[in-house]
Amino acid sequence: MSTMAADSKEVMVASRARQNRVTLRKTVVSCALLSAALLLAVVLMSLIGSEPLPAKASLCALVSLGTNSCGLTRDQFDILFQIRLPRILLAAAVGGSLATAGAGYQALLRNPLAEPYLLGISNGAAVGTMIALVFFGANEWTRPLLAFTGALLATLAVYRLARGRAGATPERLILAGVIVTTFLSSVIVFVTTLMDATRIRSFTFWLLGDLSGTSKALLPVAITIAIAGTVALTLNARSLNLLMLGERDAFDLGVEVGRVRVVVFVVASLLVGSSVAASGSVGYVGLVVPHLARLSLGSDNRITIPAAALGGALFVIVADTLARTIIAPRELPVGAITALIGAPLFIYLLKRA
Amino acid sequence: MRNAGFSEPGDLPGRFAAFSTLAQGCSGRQRIFSSPADACFLCRKQEVSGTFLFFHAQTTSFSWPALVACLILIFNGLACTAPHQPLSENLTASHVISDDAGRNVTLPLQVDRVISLAPNLTEIVFAVGGGDRLVGRTSYCDYPTEAKAAAEVGDTLQPSLERIISLKPQVVLISTASQLEVFTQQLQNQNIAVFVTDPHDLDGVFRSIDQVGRILGHGEQANLLVQKLRQRTIAVEEAVNQKQPVRVFYQLSAEPLYTAGHDAFVTDLIRRAGAISVTSDVPGAWPKYSNESALAARPEAIILPTGGSMGAGNSTVTEALRRSPAVLEGRVYKINDDHLVRPGPRAVDGLEAMARALHPEAFKQ
Repeated sequence: MSTMAADSKEVMVASRARQNRVTLRKTVVSCALLSAALLLAVVLMSLIGSEPLPAKASLCALVSLGTNSCGLTRDQFDILFQIRLPRILLAAAVGGSLATAGAGYQALLRNPLAEPYLLGISNGAAVGTMIALVFFGANEWTRPLLAFTGALLATLAVYRLARGRAGATPERLILAGVIVTTFLSSVIVFVTTLMDATRIRSFTFWLLGDLSGTSKALLPVAITIAIAGTVALTLNARSLNLLMLGERDAFDLGVEVGRVRVVVFVVASLLVGSSVAASGSVGYVGLVVPHLARLSLGSDNRITIPAAALGGALFVIVADTLARTIIAPRELPVGAITALIGAPLFIYLLKRA
Repeated sequence: MRNAGFSEPGDLPGRFAAFSTLAQGCSGRQRIFSSPADACFLCRKQEVSGTFLFFHAQTTSFSWPALVACLILIFNGLACTAPHQPLSENLTASHVISDDAGRNVTLPLQVDRVISLAPNLTEIVFAVGGGDRLVGRTSYCDYPTEAKAAAEVGDTLQPSLERIISLKPQVVLISTASQLEVFTQQLQNQNIAVFVTDPHDLDGVFRSIDQVGRILGHGEQANLLVQKLRQRTIAVEEAVNQKQPVRVFYQLSAEPLYTAGHDAFVTDLIRRAGAISVTSDVPGAWPKYSNESALAARPEAIILPTGGSMGAGNSTVTEALRRSPAVLEGRVYKINDDHLVRPGPRAVDGLEAMARALHPEAFKQ
């Protein structure tokens, strides 16, 4: 009897180890493929813009990482390394951040519609950024800080509103998101009326999501937070997998539900805050990309979260390249493109599911 | 009860749109309501087409809000069927002036009460000597200082229709730049003439001055003003005539980067000042512009409209132009934004300031 129990336990441990190995291999392979695609996109999209650059020389300069101008003129070199490349890297950071945050919210709240933009968390970050701009305009670092605070407060508000006596249902969560979104939208409108006319114009554009004002100071911050946030959520992916069974079941299986919730809320708010501070509210990324990742790779968060991060980066880089080229030399806000691609894609996903 | 969302729009056109949808919902269900509602629409001449796309409310069951709304509409309709004040007394002494929207506007010969919904029009009203008849203005109308005596009716984007009507103007002056076309119908229904101006160049500004002068019965004064402004313009043009045109970038705002496009009247001012805007062929009036295209354009001079009513916000050159020939040679010029963005009499001040900045040697006596 006892030997049998021991045997079955050994078998279970062995099968679980095998399963983990399979998951690990799948994660590594899919992430390697996505990373390669991302790198390719960064290089290719650097060659496209409103001003034509010689492709071969640009490629050579990119490969040399800017140490060799490869015959590019001073202006062409500046366009490539001072304007295009920083903007593409910011697009990657913003896309990765938003998609990771979306994947995190969706797993934690067990709601496929949970998304920073739809839940009003982007708006919370936007209010924070606007306050930073109005009161501490010169100090750029206050923007991500206050955006993070705004995002965290909006997250808590949505979470509290969604948890009624009957518990949090998916419908309640979305309703709470709608309420928080509309409330914060009126706060935004109120703040814009306090500004002068030139600023209002910039803000309406920025609110739709705009990457053109890439700040040299904030770019490293955004990239660092995107990478660190993705790693932090991936490390909690196993707990998030168990949480998808329900909070009580997860608790019974030994998940520290409270701690995981705090980690996800704080990390996701950091991700949303840093991306909104840098680029405004780019919508639909946190919704569409994690869904695509789950559809193609399964719903294991250990794969979904890093894959969503890479896919989100890829998605926003492509969307922003469209935004800055289709009506060149004029520009569109990138949020208009992500919504234009994202909304129909999402409807398609809903119909298929 | 799917109509529950109807009360959301806050502004008047929106509210009417919501009401009209409700009327549609009622008339579809209960025929009896359709005719008073229709009467009301005919009376108010509401533009309702298109609004249904946004408010696809379908009342499939009996709903109290819809009934209440219908009752309101019926009373409205009854009120509307009462005849308007006779138009004849106004018509006896009226004349027709065509505006920039291509409409023939019938105006009373004697205008005593006028509202201006754009700062450049307020400036024109005063410049042609009609300032004493300005009863309403926007919050941006800050020049001349006497203008502030007139009541404020909101900003250029969202004036209060109620306040405009309560000020009983005979004419409301509108600039297309303010996108107020939607208000035109509502004001006309109140027997208030709406005059639209749309200047795209300096000649358009002179046309606006002439039109406003005639509206206020000060045609002579307007003619004199236009003559003076034309002389100053010609003097500038003659001074810079032989100069090599300077390639200029007009930076409306740095982050995000906005500039003046083909339709902006300042593009014409720049040309007359002995320069050429590097963005003069870009479609639109105020396009958002690509940073790399700005860099590649290599402007020889940069104009920053700043220091006027828009504040000192736009006083640094955008990152992408930090190494442009203009910055390297110190040819960045700050010019009062009120003289460059308002198509009014002071635009000629802006023209002179730009020409002097770009070609200082041409103005040495």
